[in-house]
Amino acid sequence: MTPRLPASICVHQRGWLSSNNIVFIDSEREATVVDAGYVTHREQTVELLRHSIGARRLARLINTHCHSDHIGGNAALARAFGCAIAIPEGEAANVRAWDEEALHLASFGQRCERFAFDSTLAPGATLGMGGIAWQAIAAPGHDMEALVFHAPEEDILISGDALWEDGFGVLFPELFGEPGLAATRATLDTIARLAPRVVIPGHGRAFGEVDAALERAYARLEAFERDPEKLARNAFRVLVVFHILDRQAVTLEAVAALLAGTSFFAALNERSYRLAPAALADRLVRELTASGALRIDGELVRPG
Amino acid sequence: MTASPCVNVCHMNPRHGLCVGCYRTLDEIARWSALDEPERAQIVATLRERRAQLGPLRAPRPR
Repeated sequence: MTPRLPASICVHQRGWLSSNNIVFIDSEREATVVDAGYVTHREQTVELLRHSIGARRLARLINTHCHSDHIGGNAALARAFGCAIAIPEGEAANVRAWDEEALHLASFGQRCERFAFDSTLAPGATLGMGGIAWQAIAAPGHDMEALVFHAPEEDILISGDALWEDGFGVLFPELFGEPGLAATRATLDTIARLAPRVVIPGHGRAFGEVDAALERAYARLEAFERDPEKLARNAFRVLVVFHILDRQAVTLEAVAALLAGTSFFAALNERSYRLAPAALADRLVRELTASGALRIDGELVRPG
Repeated sequence: MTASPCVNVCHMNPRHGLCVGCYRTLDEIARWSALDEPERAQIVATLRERRAQLGPLRAPRPR
């Protein structure tokens, strides 16, 4: 059962391409949103916000971390509402320079619209959203600079991609040689200590069975710790599906071109599959079709 | 639990006021996460009717 949230919080949950937009009614006059969704959905994101906040002003947009599915709507929301944007302080340099490689945009076959931020949030920062006091907490692993937000009084955690109902976001840092596995364990330990009543994740519904979610997340982490090769394969599958959700229909040749054309995929392929791009594309699409994530439609590969 | 009808094609068709991917209104998308099970099932049934009645919906402009 989906847990009941305070009346000042509304979660706009769509599919996996766009992160949730967590909307807070701060007062009669102002509202805040956490995370902005993917760039191709930005017009609908603006319309949804307008619908949920009514005549209020969207005063602030806050990002849990700076991946394309969380920041893609930032520029459009700032244009539409004039909101101030706050990002985790560890992301500031990459966003200021709009370092597409460091932000995992082109190198992941993803798109985004550049935006300017107004302030940064550090772990330990406190902020009010929806009339509730929240504390920013470091949550490295999926993204080393990511923040989660905890409300001690309401016992709610906004977890971004650090904890989902079933797992967590791809552990990219580990694939880039950073200690992502250890960081993920520390982050899960932190969340377990907080023991929130409700988690509002970056993707999927808000959930209340947090112990069970943590148990699944630890089991998944242990599987990665036992066999780190699984991380690379998981990243491949997730990024290929993400790209096809974005484009909606691509040829097998286009999948091969994506795998051949980006440095990240080339490095991962070298490390785990060691296949020619066309053969790798064929294999990944076959695996993902078998699992139902994709389907073949004549010459095209589409979301399942 | 009725799964979200979102298919990751999130654009509003201005003529019908419906999402071209899932055929929901803005209100149905915005409130989805707070709806109870009977309400979700009711919406999903309505979406099937809308889809059958309206056929494919277009996004406001090509992406």
